Amino acid sequence: MLLGIETAAGLVGVALADAEGPLAGTWLRGDRRHAETLAPAIDHVLAQAGVPLAAVEAIAVDVGPGLFTGLRVGVATAQGLAEGLGVGVVEVTSLEVLAREAYDSGWQGPVAAVVDARRGEVFAARYGGPRTPAGPPSRHGPAELAEKLAGTPGTLLVGTGAHRYAELFAGAGLRVGAVREPSPRALVSIAARRLAAGEAPVPPAAVRPVYLREADARINWVQR
Amino acid sequence: MNVLGIETSCDETAAAVVSEGRLVRSSVVSSQVDLHARYGGVVPEIAGRAHVELLVPVVEEAMARAGLERPDAVAATYGPGLVGSLLVGLSAAKGLAMSWDVPFVGVNHLEGHLFAPVIEEPGLEWPLVVLLVSGGHTLLVEAAAPGRYRLLGQTIDDAAGEAFDKVARFLGLGYPGGPAIDRVSKDGDRGAFTFPRAMLDEGYDFSFSGIKTAVVRTVEREPSAATADVAAAFQDAVVDVLLTKSARAVRAVGAKGLCLGGGVAANSLLRRRAPEVVAVPTYLPSLAMCTDNAAMVAAAGSFRLAKDGPSPLSLAADPNLFLEFEPELEP
Ligand SMILES: [Zn+2]
Repeated sequence: MLLGIETAAGLVGVALADAEGPLAGTWLRGDRRHAETLAPAIDHVLAQAGVPLAAVEAIAVDVGPGLFTGLRVGVATAQGLAEGLGVGVVEVTSLEVLAREAYDSGWQGPVAAVVDARRGEVFAARYGGPRTPAGPPSRHGPAELAEKLAGTPGTLLVGTGAHRYAELFAGAGLRVGAVREPSPRALVSIAARRLAAGEAPVPPAAVRPVYLREADARINWVQR
Repeated sequence: MNVLGIETSCDETAAAVVSEGRLVRSSVVSSQVDLHARYGGVVPEIAGRAHVELLVPVVEEAMARAGLERPDAVAATYGPGLVGSLLVGLSAAKGLAMSWDVPFVGVNHLEGHLFAPVIEEPGLEWPLVVLLVSGGHTLLVEAAAPGRYRLLGQTIDDAAGEAFDKVARFLGLGYPGGPAIDRVSKDGDRGAFTFPRAMLDEGYDFSFSGIKTAVVRTVEREPSAATADVAAAFQDAVVDVLLTKSARAVRAVGAKGLCLGGGVAANSLLRRRAPEVVAVPTYLPSLAMCTDNAAMVAAAGSFRLAKDGPSPLSLAADPNLFLEFEPELEP
């Protein structure tokens, strides 16, 4: 049994998968309440599926890129669960999850997974087709990304960044698909396939969020 | 009853196991001070990232040193502090408690500091006055008993430790400022300058922004002033204000002791002068127990678990959390 945690974008999502695929799941819009909602959501999904936490053999987590605070809530929860259970973690990127959803919906052509990075930028990765591996994830201004993608006609853009800058991308002749947020269901599907293919999960101490941006070096004189 | 405590409110990643509410079986602290030194202060995003990398190894080390497979409860700081740092320890603690199937309890970091003397001083007599001074806190608290507190005073501007950091930076002494000023002050003449003692005779609140400005003006006026003299005079003024108000608070509430806590409680002048200024016994925690650590969180967590029961898994991080005060102790 595999438990997946999705907090890289606006959603707080949890899903369970067994050898036959996704089994149960839930999601809610997290806003800024990831830390409040995630642990109860995990409890809820396990109870709904009638699965004890002790039956979970690996934790899958979206390691981003995405919103730093949400990411850290998901990654730290995954680390805590995996450490306590004595199991490993499957790291999945938000961009893989978005592309997987586009392909699961039947799309066959190239996909650009585009996550809103705030401050007028997006994180993106390009996929040639359902079975081609992704290019490296990168950070761009949306106009710069539109220019790059114009060279690959017929690319479908998915993700929060694709939706935030939908007008700009449409103006550049690019198509924006329905998929907006990475879902926990697609996350566990990817992780289950990787495990089935023999990939070894990483120990909880080794899990690292994918930030794709240097830390903002502003001092905060904490007042407490 | 073994409680695993987790502390990530600022720039220390810490885990500890405490038995029976006060016996420290292990206490591990991984300081990020080197990561923040070049910025001269704690950078929240850098702290949040470092906690993610350090937390699991620190928890593993604390559990291994305690020789424990599974604790009976997990306690974690949920405020006050940097929200991006708090969330790491809080989220991991919930995950650990769920997977071990043990209670989870959220701890107020300030109450944690108030449990440091409980761990170290078996003969502690209540009521106490606690002076909690660090880069983040400046509080004068009456503790009638464990869990029963009344706020006497706090800073109205900079924290005491923040004043040390800012003055040290201005004098080119590096970060963190407290130990740097303490060190150079040993060669200085604290009488060479007289810096203002803000609000010395007014209530129990503190103000440290004026003294920082006074230091800057003095050095601008006398560029040849010896740094050691300036540092010593600054430290003398801060310690004077802290202890004058603490001594007055001790008399006013009839306290049986004064406890120091927080990183500034490591200051050698403060430690030396406290017993001279205050008529009741002074409790000076070890340096490891002054600064942020998880043993104090585990001890406070044991107390809260016994008193109030476990916290819900929906507990949020609260960067502005304050101490709860007993109604009958309201001033
Ligand atoms: Zn503290």
